[in-house]
Amino acid sequence: MFDNLSFRFLILFICCQSSLILNAQEQLNNSNVENIDIIHTNYYTLLSAGITNPIYRDFATSPLFFRGIGLSLSTAWLKQSDSRERIFQLEIGGAVMFPKTPESNFIQTGGSSFFGQINAFYQQLWKLEALSNTQNNIKVGGALVITQNIRINGALLNNFLGLESIYNLMASAQITRDISRKKEKEINLLLFKPVLKPVKRDLRFLLNVGVLNVNHRPGYTYTYNSEMNGTETGSAAWTYYNYQWALNGWRLQTQLEYIKYLHNGNARSWSYVWRATHVPGRHEAFQMASHQIQFTLFFNSKKRKS
Amino acid sequence: MRNTFLILTILFFASCEKMLFEPDLASSDPYENFDYLWNEVDKKYSYFELKGINWNEVKDKYRPMLSENSSETELFEVMAKMLNELEDDHSNLISPFNISQYKVALTGPDNFRWRTLEEHYLPEIWTTGPLLNDFLSNEDVGYIRYASFTSDFSDDQMDLVLERFKNTKGIILDLRKNGGGSIFNYPKILGRFVETKILVGHNITRNGSNHGDFAEKEDIYITPYDGIKYLKPVIVLIDNGSYSATTFFALATKAIPNIILMGDTTAGGGGLPNGGQLPNGWTYRFSVSQLLDLNGNNYAENGVPADIEVDFDWSDLTKDEILDKAIYEIVY
Repeated sequence: MFDNLSFRFLILFICCQSSLILNAQEQLNNSNVENIDIIHTNYYTLLSAGITNPIYRDFATSPLFFRGIGLSLSTAWLKQSDSRERIFQLEIGGAVMFPKTPESNFIQTGGSSFFGQINAFYQQLWKLEALSNTQNNIKVGGALVITQNIRINGALLNNFLGLESIYNLMASAQITRDISRKKEKEINLLLFKPVLKPVKRDLRFLLNVGVLNVNHRPGYTYTYNSEMNGTETGSAAWTYYNYQWALNGWRLQTQLEYIKYLHNGNARSWSYVWRATHVPGRHEAFQMASHQIQFTLFFNSKKRKS
Repeated sequence: MRNTFLILTILFFASCEKMLFEPDLASSDPYENFDYLWNEVDKKYSYFELKGINWNEVKDKYRPMLSENSSETELFEVMAKMLNELEDDHSNLISPFNISQYKVALTGPDNFRWRTLEEHYLPEIWTTGPLLNDFLSNEDVGYIRYASFTSDFSDDQMDLVLERFKNTKGIILDLRKNGGGSIFNYPKILGRFVETKILVGHNITRNGSNHGDFAEKEDIYITPYDGIKYLKPVIVLIDNGSYSATTFFALATKAIPNIILMGDTTAGGGGLPNGGQLPNGWTYRFSVSQLLDLNGNNYAENGVPADIEVDFDWSDLTKDEILDKAIYEIVY
């Protein structure tokens, strides 16, 4: 499927991500960046790793849901101020999937498939002053999401390869609630009484709803019938032969994120990300959803006065 | 309050897609599985009209054989028989306990015996990957046995074989009992035998729910390999066990002047198969396209005929009459 260069790039990307995540904690605490300040525009580089529980169903090849577990790695660049923010994120993920087959009283049907996903996400948000206050910052805006699925299921024989390209222009809304601890707090545990220091924390909820949903799906028979001219075409032309564009479906995405800022301006967060997509295409629908627990490190690279 | 909000949100979205997507269609119900397969074939199978199959009659014949209590083996048997009505080896039902196949090769004579070749013709055969090769007739003829298109070979391996045979008068490429495999391999071989890019046939694929709905004709080309080629006579041996990719290969040779087909008509398999899965998890495939020759004729599904017909004589197992005839054609 991949040529050598793409494969090497993929491996390199995964290795770099893993290495950065593992070593990032130290850098996070050693940074010399000054304390975060809402009057400034902060520039963050984000590194994330997540455990994901995807589910999909491709009616072109199977009426069954496939469910599994996998990993997701992403990197993002975030420019954030009190009044505006924008983020560009690149994410790759892979999961092993199993069909949800009915129970057999003879020999159970098994099988598995690989489900890979590449996402590119760009979002801009602007503050809604009328609805915001010192504790709640509400922003609205839009996002562009490009998703490429790569599914490999040998049991489907000539249809072993499944590819979906999904493009969505989304309306976005985000509420960030300041849940900082402003003063020191003592906890009475009878035997000892630890003192919790003040800390800046946010609880953020993001909702993206697809308003313009475009997809690129296989044609009526799904089969890659340019196989016969396989030596005559490039790999992309062969792969997308007979694919058809469609403007339909829906996409939803939510993210609930708990962010804890460090005194040096960096931050870390835990998120729960839920995504669901329905792609009717021209002929047979594709559906997918995922639940993801994600850990993110925010590196404050620079800040400027707003 | 914060924690309650967080927990409620997670619980809501954790099951949300179940409300948004259509219901789970997984089912072991015999009727649901039968109907699902019947419908998929009805929507996409490519040879109903050519073969004169009334698919509604097939349903009426086999569906009553089921009951709600049919066992999995009974369901398999009924659906396998239904698929075999297509008389197409690209139509298979695959369960964990059995795989259905029409076995089109059994409808004609057997014209290949490997032991005869090994014992009496090819004493020092080279095994160059899947390309078994040796000299015949005092090194006037090169022989290549390619038993399956599922077996990939490298360019270097093919270079070595053709370089070895560069001083021969011709090559015999034995594709008897080659049941097909990766369709990528047939243009890879034929590209060695052509000097210029050549149109060899066409393909049409189902694109609608009516049995006669097909997309526009697509051209099939063979492009010359950019390296070692062999442009002297090539005789390709075929028989009733030559199927699928071998039928594609055989049809393409009709457009290439220096290649002759010898033996028996191929078993067919001119449709590219489409794979899928049933509500009970079993998988299936069937043909969704048709292979046409340069004039738009559609005979490939029933087999590509040999240019020179020769039969294997099973009364004398020391001789391969088809191979003998091919050697004669090249040498004399």
